Amino acid sequence: MPSLTEDLIRIVREAIEPEALVRHVRAPADGAVATFDGCVRNHSHGRATLYLEYEAYEAMAMAKMREIAAAIHEKFAIHQVAIVHRLGRLEIGETSVFIAVSAPHRPAAFDACRFAIDTLKRTVPIWKKEFFEDGAVWADGELPAPPASAGTPSAKVAS
Amino acid sequence: MQVRVLFFGELKEIVGRAEDSAELADGARIEELFAHYGGRYPELARFRASLVASRNREFAPWSAALQPGDEVAFLPPVSGG
Repeated sequence: MPSLTEDLIRIVREAIEPEALVRHVRAPADGAVATFDGCVRNHSHGRATLYLEYEAYEAMAMAKMREIAAAIHEKFAIHQVAIVHRLGRLEIGETSVFIAVSAPHRPAAFDACRFAIDTLKRTVPIWKKEFFEDGAVWADGELPAPPASAGTPSAKVAS
Repeated sequence: MQVRVLFFGELKEIVGRAEDSAELADGARIEELFAHYGGRYPELARFRASLVASRNREFAPWSAALQPGDEVAFLPPVSGG
């Protein structure tokens, strides 16, 4: 079903404005907007974090984020989605990723939002480096499952 | 044939650059491209088990055959969000 505005998928370097994204996805036919606000935590594995730096394989990350949007439209009865990830240096408490999903009813909005962030964390090529008082490390990440053989689609949606 | 190679995160620090172009024999696979860099940067070879590869912005098996002009990246475990 065509919608009045489009999904908003972006990678940015400036501060994310959650209210604008919520406004973007909500329409008169929606009864719910579920959001996920991923923010920079002040500790990691028991050490005090000073700040984070994010980098991405931007072209592929955008493609993977668009795939997530397409997948949640297919799997859940939602209206629209906004997914924005920030790169560069982020301070404690700042938003690194924000997802907003609108839907006529709340179960689809919640489920789709959860699916979107869980899938983003497994499949979108973005990396963060954690800076501490005494050094810096690349965060332990998740290894995306590679396709079994050439030509096999990397993401299959179970029916 | 020539392919474009991208490095991210820790790999970029090991190799000392974000991007390179490599000359390979026709029909070479991603595995052989990685071995080419592993030979030059032994520290990189240690990462092999914790990497996945991409070809033209899509995850690809190490056995994938390359074409001239392909864009290949070796991706460390992702940690966005």
